[in-house]
Amino acid sequence: MSAFLIRRLIGAAVIMWAVATLVFFMLRIVPGDPIGAMLFDVGGAEEVEALRRKLGLDQPLYVQYLKWFWNLLQGDLGSSIYGSRVPVAQLIAEALPRTLSLAGLSFVLALVIAVPAGLIAATRRNSGLDYGVTFVAFLGLSMPDFWLAILLIIVFAANLHWLPAIGYVPLAEGFWPWLSHLILPAIAVGTAFSAIIARMIRSSMLEVLKADYMQVARSKGLREHALILTHAFPNALIPVITVMGIAFALLMAGAVVVENVFSIKGLGRLLIQGILNRDYPVVQGSILVVSAIFVFANLLVDALYTVIDPRIRHQS
Amino acid sequence: MTKNFDQLSNAQQARIATELTDAYDFDPRDPLFGLSRDEISGATLKRRTVLRLMAAAGTLSAAHLLPGFGVGGARAASGGTLTCGWSGVGEITTLDPAQINQVLQFQITSNVLSGLMHINADLVAEGDLTESWKVSADGREFTLKLREGVTFHNGDKFDADDVLFTYNRSRDPQKSIHARVLKNVAELKKIDAYTVRFTLKKPQASFLTKALERSSGRAMTIVSRGGLEKLGTQKFGLTPIGTGPFKVVSHVLGQGVVLERFANYFDPKRPRLDKVVIKPISEAEPLAAAIEAGDIQLIGGNPIAPELIDRFVANPDLVVSEVPAPGFQAVWINPWHPHMRVSDFSKPVSELMKEKGFKVRLAIAKALDRDRYLKKAQFGRGTPAYGSINPAMGYYFDKTLAKTSNQRFDPQEARRLLAEAGYPNGKGFPTLRLLTTPSNRRESLVVADILKRNLNITVKLSTKEWSVNTQDFATMNWDLRRSGSGGDFDPDDGLVDWMQTKSKFNGRKRDRSKHPFGYFSDAEADKLIDEQSATGDLKKRRALVHKADKLTSDKVACAFLFHPSNILVYHKKVNFPKQSRIPGLVDLDRVTVS
Amino acid sequence: MKYAAVLGADEAQSTGRGKPGFVAAILNDKKALFGVVVLGIFFAAALFAPLVAPYDPNAMDFDMMLAPSGQFVLGTDDLGRDLFTRILYGTRTSLLVGVSTVALSLVVGVALGVAAGYFGGWIDTIIMRYIDLQWAFPNFIVAVYLVAVFGAGLLNVIIAIALAFVDDFARITRGMVLTIKEEQYVAAARVSGASDFRIMWRHILPNAMAPIIVQATVSVSYAILGEASLSFLGLGVEADTPTWGLILADARSFISRAWWLGVFPGVAIMLTVLSINFLGDALRDYLDVRETQGLW
Repeated sequence: MSAFLIRRLIGAAVIMWAVATLVFFMLRIVPGDPIGAMLFDVGGAEEVEALRRKLGLDQPLYVQYLKWFWNLLQGDLGSSIYGSRVPVAQLIAEALPRTLSLAGLSFVLALVIAVPAGLIAATRRNSGLDYGVTFVAFLGLSMPDFWLAILLIIVFAANLHWLPAIGYVPLAEGFWPWLSHLILPAIAVGTAFSAIIARMIRSSMLEVLKADYMQVARSKGLREHALILTHAFPNALIPVITVMGIAFALLMAGAVVVENVFSIKGLGRLLIQGILNRDYPVVQGSILVVSAIFVFANLLVDALYTVIDPRIRHQS
Repeated sequence: MTKNFDQLSNAQQARIATELTDAYDFDPRDPLFGLSRDEISGATLKRRTVLRLMAAAGTLSAAHLLPGFGVGGARAASGGTLTCGWSGVGEITTLDPAQINQVLQFQITSNVLSGLMHINADLVAEGDLTESWKVSADGREFTLKLREGVTFHNGDKFDADDVLFTYNRSRDPQKSIHARVLKNVAELKKIDAYTVRFTLKKPQASFLTKALERSSGRAMTIVSRGGLEKLGTQKFGLTPIGTGPFKVVSHVLGQGVVLERFANYFDPKRPRLDKVVIKPISEAEPLAAAIEAGDIQLIGGNPIAPELIDRFVANPDLVVSEVPAPGFQAVWINPWHPHMRVSDFSKPVSELMKEKGFKVRLAIAKALDRDRYLKKAQFGRGTPAYGSINPAMGYYFDKTLAKTSNQRFDPQEARRLLAEAGYPNGKGFPTLRLLTTPSNRRESLVVADILKRNLNITVKLSTKEWSVNTQDFATMNWDLRRSGSGGDFDPDDGLVDWMQTKSKFNGRKRDRSKHPFGYFSDAEADKLIDEQSATGDLKKRRALVHKADKLTSDKVACAFLFHPSNILVYHKKVNFPKQSRIPGLVDLDRVTVS
Repeated sequence: MKYAAVLGADEAQSTGRGKPGFVAAILNDKKALFGVVVLGIFFAAALFAPLVAPYDPNAMDFDMMLAPSGQFVLGTDDLGRDLFTRILYGTRTSLLVGVSTVALSLVVGVALGVAAGYFGGWIDTIIMRYIDLQWAFPNFIVAVYLVAVFGAGLLNVIIAIALAFVDDFARITRGMVLTIKEEQYVAAARVSGASDFRIMWRHILPNAMAPIIVQATVSVSYAILGEASLSFLGLGVEADTPTWGLILADARSFISRAWWLGVFPGVAIMLTVLSINFLGDALRDYLDVRETQGLW
């Protein structure tokens, strides 16, 4: 198994490099001159050239690439080309906890709802409850997350004043402030995910409940409840776990629009602003971090999967 | 200007008219502009004096003269936290006075850093870090007595060395983008620990109000030597250290700035608040939601999206104050487009009127129903524009242009011109692309709709992000473009920056073999504008400005659209005393929250 | 990888069930029936919009923000345009984008998957590397990037979104092809001298379609949501063609005063995606496909 993992690790590193390289070149060969735009109101051609030289953007592409890569290996992600030229690593360090908090809370909320819902739907198959859960799940994954976000703000923040409408408070400043600012966005982000998980658990459970080894266990005289919890459920989780890994990473990227609606300066937002401003270093650094999270989550799930399902362990 | 002006009583209108006349009533050759030495020296400058100096510097705007808004003198308790939302901005990139160039930035630095002078809401120039000053007879020497017992946020004592340090820093174009402001200074000398003397190359009575002001002056906004050395330029830009009523305790890019009361501020009665939180909120909806929910109690920063204003006005918990903003917005027309081609503007208007390309150009300008645009796109806020000189400029604004300009709205005439150019009822006229930014998309749609209704031509939007947008504009890669100018306090800001052949926005990156000039070029306008810029005689300058304004309007340098309004919104429990309601600023040192 | 394990060999036999079976299946399933009917209505709306719409979608002739009434069934927006007409026309773009993105993505992805699975060797390696690479990219971000850089416009949006699904189609197809090409009838075809292309086109592909079709339906719903999100960020199709996401984005500041502007376009999106999901679900059950790829 460790050989498998090591190979996957190397593969992951290669992918990261490929992603980073692709992004680097992608950003440079397109229309839109950020330096010109930045100094549009203030500078003439000479100021623009001076700034360009200062930021090292006047050198041939491959030189810039090598320099950047060299810095990267030393942990230096460069600095934003705007304003105070804050190091990208710092920007990301400030943005990441927010997105992680949001994704994390969404994840937890989603599961808290989805798991019982899926279980109930599966064990009470074709009952009113089942139809109810299934229908709500469908609704949940059909709603655009930003639409839900807006509706939530209007109802809970603007009208009822129960929860704040925007912003983020770090955990260090208090649990409730942190939580209260994240509840609405987490609901917006997590609903679709919750729906998907609920349905997955339901269908997976249904499969498992039909399986042979369940009949065997039943014939042994074990009670249904115990059966479900100890035999059916863990097995039903296997395909679900595979989704969890990428899902978490996807929650992070997918939270972009919701971060936008709630004015949370997370990673997705940083990325979008960077793209719109052609802030090369910020975009490169952010995509790298997001990809790293994807790949890492993927890896984690693979490792988990090999532990859970012996069949896979000996494959590939 | 017109809307608010009309709402004033006759007595108030008369007073403003008198003040304006008095302000501009001086001999420009007089270095002291008709003021006595006593009037320009002392511990404060009276309102009349300040108005005269501002007029002389060309920075007097009509907005300054309107009666102040805001709740007067409510005796509310001190303390508390004020949370503000800064509109239309994602992050406050820097607070280093040497680098700031946006109003939203110096709204903040005005609370954190001090200048040598500060103009308050009554247009009285008070010493900020200065106790008193003397001006020499020839208007070239300014001797300033500095305030003693002032400390920086980090404990360092303030003295003349700090003034010198700031001066040397600001003078260096590598370190500061405001070096130009100090070009007229021959020397700054330290007389003793608390006295300095500026010696100017040429007399400039307005030096006090223009260069030394703490917010808009910027060049002499005093920074902490020790702070800069310790933090380094980059960090200092985030958390500057000064002598102002508030100190920066944290600044997280993108999340906001937190200010706290500086206990050792030189005026023990200020500030009244304990803490100020400033959050940048770039989108309109979250901003509105925030102030309605009470998450924030005041909105500063960039202009608020027009669609929110009515909503705020209707809200009984909010106070909305509106003044004319200095600037203009237009629809630019590319003279190199084959169907709108004008290759030479340097001929009399009557000659131009015979050309097919010019007819189309004029037709577009005349088809712009500015009132309808204001109603639909700006919810009735703002005034129609026919030139680059805006109503906030007061003295230089030409009220009659709306009636005399060649561009004034006339749909029938517009249609006739288009037909004469060979496109009866828009037939045969190609689809034009209107270059715009995502934030202007909505109102650009209104422009396109208006042109369709009145000329029956099809205009499609080309929405491009700012950096690509400016590039396209500079390379003349567009048919029509929606954009304009802001922060225009002086006629030069409009005329020199936009209406001349060599203007910095006029097709700077174009291919000169294909486009001999950018969006407009007229020899006579160029000459007029150069002349007005160099003229010290204000009456003469005004005449030249009007002439240039009318010329650029008649020759359709662009299709002028409107002059925006400037709006401040805050919760009614915020006590914003009249003293603090300085046009363009958000000074919080006297503000309290009940 | 793991998905291939789940999909497995079971799919190979889920072919050839005739049309009548599927129709019956739909009629039996209430949800699927709902989906078909609603989608049918939307398609009809898209096709006949100019005939059915009471007004011009871009005409700003009316008063701003009128509540729903007899004259304006769903009210007017902040510029005085009829909301019902705009939503009706929005159907066209949303469905067009949804279908064409997936069609494009399918063609490219399936081609890649077939090539990889059939030829193996270095072709397979390269294509697999690409699939893995795309897997590591946040697809939505890439779409934002492409549209931000190359400009908003129908074609750019379609390409940007289509790109996001290519790896899913490629991966599924490849998995299917790997299994199918071991089948008897493929060997037989090869022995009888059929060309590679013919084998891929005639024998392998038809048998691989089941999961591809299901994936396609799921992708359409994501494409529609994706287009709405892009429009919402201001990066969607150009402003003169109303799309639902755009209508919502424009309405953001006015929703507190005009709730209809925020509710109805969102409902339209939701109904469309819901219907597609119901149908996709029915298809999945019918074709006995176990897993689908990706979550956008």
